[in-house]
This record gives sequence, structure tokens and C-alpha cells, in this order.
Amino acid sequence: MLLAPIFQLLLWLSSWAWVSTASAVYEDAARGFFERHASSAGGSGSTHTNNWAVLVCSSRYWFNYRHMANALGMYRTVKRLGIPDSNIILMLADDASCNSRNKFPGSVYANPARQPDLYGDNIEVDYRGYEVTVENFIRVLTGRMDPSVPRSKRLLSDERSNVFVYMTGHGGNEFLKFQDNEEISAFDIADAFEQMYQKRRYNELLFMIDTCQANTMYSKLYSPHILAAGSSNLGESSYSHVNDNDIGVAVIDAFTHYVLEFMEKINKTSQVSMQELFNSFDATKLHSTPGVRSDLFKRPLDKARITDFFGGVAQVEIISLDSATISPEATSPTNDTEPLQLRPNVMPLAAKAQNMSDTVTTQTWLAQLNGKEWKTVRAWVSLAIIGALASWVASRK
Amino acid sequence: MPSTSSSSSPSTPSPDLPATLHDPKSPFYQQVSLRRAIIASYWTIILLAVPLWWYTTSIERLALPSGRVQQLAQHSLELPVSICVEGPRIPFIDKIQVQLSKQISQDPQRWKGIAPRLFGSTDCEKSSGNKVYSVKFTSTTGTSIHHRQLHFPPNTAPSTIVEVLSSLLVPYSSSRDSKHRIVQYAPHYRLAFSLLNEDAAAGDVVKDWNIQAELRNYINPITRRLGALHNFTVESQVQFHAPLAFPPRPLDHSWGITPADLTVFVNSAEWTLSSSSSNDPVLHFILFIPSAERRPLVILTDTEGTVSPSSAFLVPQWGGIVIHNPTSISSSGTLPDHDVSTVFAAFATQFQSLLGVAALPRGVHAPEGLSAWQLDALTRRRTLENAQGSQDTLASIVKLVDQIENMPVGADVRDDVEDALAALQDMRDAAPVSLAQAFARSATALGLASRAFFNPGMLALLYFPAEHTYAVYTPLFASALIPLVVAALREFMAWKRERREAALMKAAP
Repeated sequence: MLLAPIFQLLLWLSSWAWVSTASAVYEDAARGFFERHASSAGGSGSTHTNNWAVLVCSSRYWFNYRHMANALGMYRTVKRLGIPDSNIILMLADDASCNSRNKFPGSVYANPARQPDLYGDNIEVDYRGYEVTVENFIRVLTGRMDPSVPRSKRLLSDERSNVFVYMTGHGGNEFLKFQDNEEISAFDIADAFEQMYQKRRYNELLFMIDTCQANTMYSKLYSPHILAAGSSNLGESSYSHVNDNDIGVAVIDAFTHYVLEFMEKINKTSQVSMQELFNSFDATKLHSTPGVRSDLFKRPLDKARITDFFGGVAQVEIISLDSATISPEATSPTNDTEPLQLRPNVMPLAAKAQNMSDTVTTQTWLAQLNGKEWKTVRAWVSLAIIGALASWVASRK
Repeated sequence: MPSTSSSSSPSTPSPDLPATLHDPKSPFYQQVSLRRAIIASYWTIILLAVPLWWYTTSIERLALPSGRVQQLAQHSLELPVSICVEGPRIPFIDKIQVQLSKQISQDPQRWKGIAPRLFGSTDCEKSSGNKVYSVKFTSTTGTSIHHRQLHFPPNTAPSTIVEVLSSLLVPYSSSRDSKHRIVQYAPHYRLAFSLLNEDAAAGDVVKDWNIQAELRNYINPITRRLGALHNFTVESQVQFHAPLAFPPRPLDHSWGITPADLTVFVNSAEWTLSSSSSNDPVLHFILFIPSAERRPLVILTDTEGTVSPSSAFLVPQWGGIVIHNPTSISSSGTLPDHDVSTVFAAFATQFQSLLGVAALPRGVHAPEGLSAWQLDALTRRRTLENAQGSQDTLASIVKLVDQIENMPVGADVRDDVEDALAALQDMRDAAPVSLAQAFARSATALGLASRAFFNPGMLALLYFPAEHTYAVYTPLFASALIPLVVAALREFMAWKRERREAALMKAAP
């Protein structure tokens, strides 16, 4: 008797929930369409003046040798293509090269031919071992650092920086494990990128991830000017590429291997576009479906060069020395600048009064609820219903 | 028999103990009131603990003055510029005024934030002091600048005057390249001067340069003049092996660098260009001495091999490079002073354009070097930039705190935001009075706003969705809470039944 109305209520709640999420999807699609077309009028050239790279290997232990090799391979490539070490943040457990099981101490190789040595002679690991944590990674991205953190551990990018973020490790649906200890979710990465966007810490950002179900990791991104690529779809594993019988473990993952192989054909002045890189992805070779997300990126992919993200500077200006005709000591100091006088910090009363008045709102609480809050309300309502049902059953005796 | 006490025998009740202790059918803990008290005390403790639990698990999120931040974004800063035209002819001044208004309406973006005011006077210095820009017609040798005075030859056309005035007051066009080149504002820069020998092993090596004297001659005057805007630290080094990452193209009697190679000239992988001792931005100035085997090394302007007359170039927002092919090096390996002077003249030009000092308009001379007009234009630009930057940062803090629910906002963040707002208000108050003060306030506001944004405590907690919350808390709390809820319900119903029975008994005795 009592069950029937409750069942109806549940039915109504669930159908309404479905409608509200579906309409949100359409709204997003429409917004995406308009944003894309509003910005397509702009030029196609990149407007950055400096490049940064954040390379993260989130695994540790000897059997994850290949993840170390992935990150080091990327490190070698971005360095070769012109990003200075000061602009590369490398996060690496770094327990492969000097592992007692490593038959080639001090070296990390990404192929059985053992050429080249990725560990090389000039490598700067910025976050090592147990420093590779979710917190540190997010601090690097958002710039929320303790003042004592040295320059080499900071991402000091600005609104003219193109940032390349590469991650590799073991992951799953919308998460990536950090050293078998904690995990970062796709939401955390999306929020971190949004904070970077709000503080103008990048001009354009390339997010590349090689892990199982990698494409889920970029599904939650929502900040503009981000291009994302992943190695495998939801439900798919990302496979290693090749074993080295002397080292005894897999030495590189397939996705990274083919990206790096493509990069070997690129030099600092190449004009090859990102589109060509993405076209080179071959699902049959990778044994997984690589994904690309470009709806947030405002430039056509065939105009975006690989060196926009992997390389150094894009342009220089030749200065004619004729204009450099300032004679020495001509610029003598003159006293026509006003002296700096500091006044006490007095906030005018008017500003304070306005501060008080702006708390008055005319909207009803219902209208203020956005999608996220609705979800919470819904969850609590359903919990209350279940609780009521349980207690009703319990008290019948 | 270990015990003979009377209490061990239930058949003989002792007079000093309550009956309930002895009667197994109704033990004392089966008393209704006691049972209810126990259940009630459980619930009391739970209810009392809820606020504590709430307090200890909630994130500190202090309210930010979001209303004031939004209000600030609506008002844009206006920096007044007063120009006094010396001369009694009113119609002439009106003509300039009309031309100027036309200029402003044609490119409002360029004049954004600047409010020029034109007036005529017979003696500008006397009527308004030296903070006002004055235009005079007393020059005999072309247009020249003296402090904040601009001297034109007599009978200059109004259009020319307006042209010169606008390129002096707002020299920054809204085009992309100049925005590109100028470094972002920082209160402190490090200047790293490097003398790089491509390959000292090939011989003819430059071991030393007279940098102290040239710094004094070329760089210090600029840093002194810009001292109100930035602080500078200078460091220098000499390197003897700085290979290029590409082979230069061999020409007939020289070696050339193509435009494409020029963009990758800086071999950051192998050159160590600056120490990373502080977080301040670094401006690099490189004097590159090609290897003795590859001299002269020249810059090509196209792929056909046209040689550029210049040997200096600039990497936007990064620094300047001069390639120098020495003709004579003394036996001690010191570069001749004359060569170093030329190089430092180029460095000075590069330095100025990186910092955003605008070049003087064509045909205008400034005998004193970096003129007050240029410095003021730069100060205005930086003030507007900083004001905009701090407003944007404050707005984004407010937006992010709204958007990301588990982002903590501590007292230090709130105080920094409040202080930044106060500094911005001070800047507005100071703007009509003193440009230098307005700039100082804007820099303070930017510093505070950035510090608030980058506060290490503002790191949001990791994503922990509602489903996870239920998954964690349900096994823990459901098993404890359900018996309590059921017990409370049963007691409540028993109590109601008792009351009903008591009422029935009363009604029918």
C-alpha cells in the first residue's frame, strides 16, 4: 500500500535525473560549437614565446622499467627539439637506472638494440622517488608552492607559454595511480588545468597520456586551448611494445614508442603538424585505440606544428645595429620622476558600504542550484528515501 | 565449599538488595526507564558529536569580497595626461584638439585607459609646473625633446603635432609583435651577460672583455632611469666551449645562418646560461664569438643567401644576441674596447626594447637619451597592465573558489585579497595626482593578488565523489546506526502503546 507511491516517486526521480543530464549534454555541444566558430577568425600561427614540459612517470619498481623509459624518452626528445632543462619538470621514481637488477647500471634503454642510452650523461630529474606524488604534481601545475621551493622545481610559465604535459603509469577509468600509493583522477587534472588557465599559466597546452584506459583521463577537461591525446579507450589496456631479454622486462610502451619514433624524424625547424602525428597513430600496431581530443583547442590541427609544443622558440627579430646609436653616458639621470611617497592604506568608507550591500540577492535558492548541487540534493534525497524504507521495514514488527 | 554467602542462593532473598537483582524474570537492567535512558544517552552523544564532526571535517572557506572584485572589473582605470600648448592662438589649439579626438576615435584600443586633456597657455611652466607635458614652437633645429617639453619649429601643421604627440604618449600599437617582444612585468629582473666562444680549441679565443666599463656606460644609465619600475641584478660569465646545434651554411668567404636556424640558435641543451639561484625572470644577453674556423659568421635574411647588414638579433621575451667576428684580439685575449662598445650599444637597444621602452618617433631628437616622455609612456603601460592583471587574478580567485568546492580559503588568502583591493583603490585615488604613485600601487596590487592566488594552502582536496563517500561511510556507520534507529523506534512505539493503555484504563476503571 505504502510501497506503490514510493515506487512511483523513485521512478519519477530517476526519469527526471535522466532528462536533466541529457539536456546538459546538448547545452555543452551547442556551447562548444559557438566557441569554436567564434575563435576561428583568429590567426593560425601560435603566439607563444617559450615552451615548458612536465613529464611524469607515476610508477616505481623494477618491473615498471618501461614507464621510466617512456618518460625519459620524452625527456630526451623535448630536450633535443630545444626545450631547455630549466623549462622541463621531470618527475620520475628513478629506481630503474641504478637498480641492483639492472644489468646495465646507470643506463636506461628503450629498445633491445640498446641505442641510445636514455639516461645519458646530462639528465636533470626534478622530482625523484617519493617526491613523485599527486600533491606535488598539482602544485607544479598550479604554481602553489612553498616560497622555499627552488626554481628548478617550478613551472614558471606565463600566458605566452606552450606547455606539454606527459604522463605515464598504471591507470584505469578516470584515474592514474601514483606509485601504488595514491591516485589522481581526471577531475583533479581538469581542475588543475582550469586553475592554470585562470592564472594564464599557458597559451596552449598539450596533454598526452600513456596508460590503460588513458582516453578517460582527458574526458573531464573543460579549459580552452588544450589539446589532448591518449593511448587507449575506456575498457582497453595499453600494451608494452618490446621486451629486452637481458634486461628481463618490457622496455617501452607501444604508444610512446610510436610517438617517439615519429619524433625522431622531426628536427628543431620541422614544419610537421600535430595532425600528421595523430594520423600516424595505428590502432593495429598499438593493440589499443589511441584517442585525440581537440574540441577545446582553438586552432586547426594541421596548422599546429609539433615544434609548437616539443620545440623551443618560434621566432626571432633581427635588430639593425644602426638604431643602436646611443652614445655612452648620454642618458644621465634627471630628477623629473616623481618621488615615491607611501601613504597609509586607508580604504574609503564608500567601498566598505558597497561591500555590505552586495550580499543581498534576489534570486531564490532553487534558481541558484547548478548541476553539481542538484546531483548532491538528488543523492541525499535518495539516501533519505532508502533510510525511510529501511526504518519502516524494521519497525513493522 | 568455596562460598557460603547468602546472596548466592536465589531462593532466599536478602533484605538489603533490591528485588530486581534476585529475580531472574525481571533483572534490573530490564527496567523500562533505564533502558530508555541508555538509548537516549547514545542518541545524545551522537547528536552532540555531529557539530564536532562537522567542524573537524569541513574545509575552512572564508568569504571573499567577491562583490567588490566584480565591481572593480566594471570600472576601468583612466590615467589623465595634461598637455599644455604654448601660444595664444585659440583656433590653432582647437584644431589640434579636433585632430586628437579623431585619432582617439580611430584607434580607441590604443588609447584605452588614457585620458588626454589639451589646453593652451602663454607660459606652461608657470601655470602648471613641470608635471604637465608642454608643446612649444621655439625650436630652430627640428623637433626635439627637453624633459617633458616638446619643441617644434614654428608653423608646424596641427596634424604633424598630433602625430608626434600620439606616438610619444601611446607608442604601443595594439599589433601583436610588440606585445610579443616585451617581457612581462616583474619587480625584479636578473640580467645575464654571457661571452660565449664557440670553440676555444680552434684558437683565437676571447678570454676577457671590459664589461665593467661598458656596463657603466650603456646599461647603468638605463637601469638608473628605470629604477622606479624594476630592480636589476647583473651577472656575467665567459664560456670557452659553446657549440651550435646546427652546422652553419658555408658561403663563398663566410658562413651563414639561415632564418630557420636563427630561431634555434640558442643551444639551451649545451649552454649554461644563468644560475637558477632565484625565481626572478632572467634577461639573457649573449655575445657569441664564432669558432676561428667559421669566421666570419653572418646572418642571412632569406634562404637564397642574402647577407643581413646586422649581426644582432632578439629573441622575444628572452634576451638579445650579438654575433661578433673579431678581427684583432690582443695577445692577452681581451676584446678591444671599441668592439665591446659596439656590442654593448646593441645590448642596450635590445634591453630597452625587451623592457618596452618605445623608440622615439621619426625626426624627434632627445639630447638627454631616454626621455621623460618615453619613461612616462612605459610607466602608464605598466600601470594599466598591472591594474588589469591584478583585477583578472582577483576575479579568477573568486571564480575558482566558487567553482571548486573543496578549495580551502584561509585567513592569509583573504587578507591578501583585501590588501590587493585596497591597493587598487589607492591606485585609483593616486592616478590623477601622481603617475609614479599609481604605478607603485598597481605593482603592489599585482604582487598581493598573485601571492593570494599562489598561496600554498589553497590546494584543493583531491576529487572525492559522493559515491565514494557513501562507499566509505555506509559499512562503517550503517551497522551501528540501524540498531540504534530501530531500538529508538521500538521504544517510541512501546511508549505510545503504554500511554494508550493508560488512557484506556483511566477511561474505564
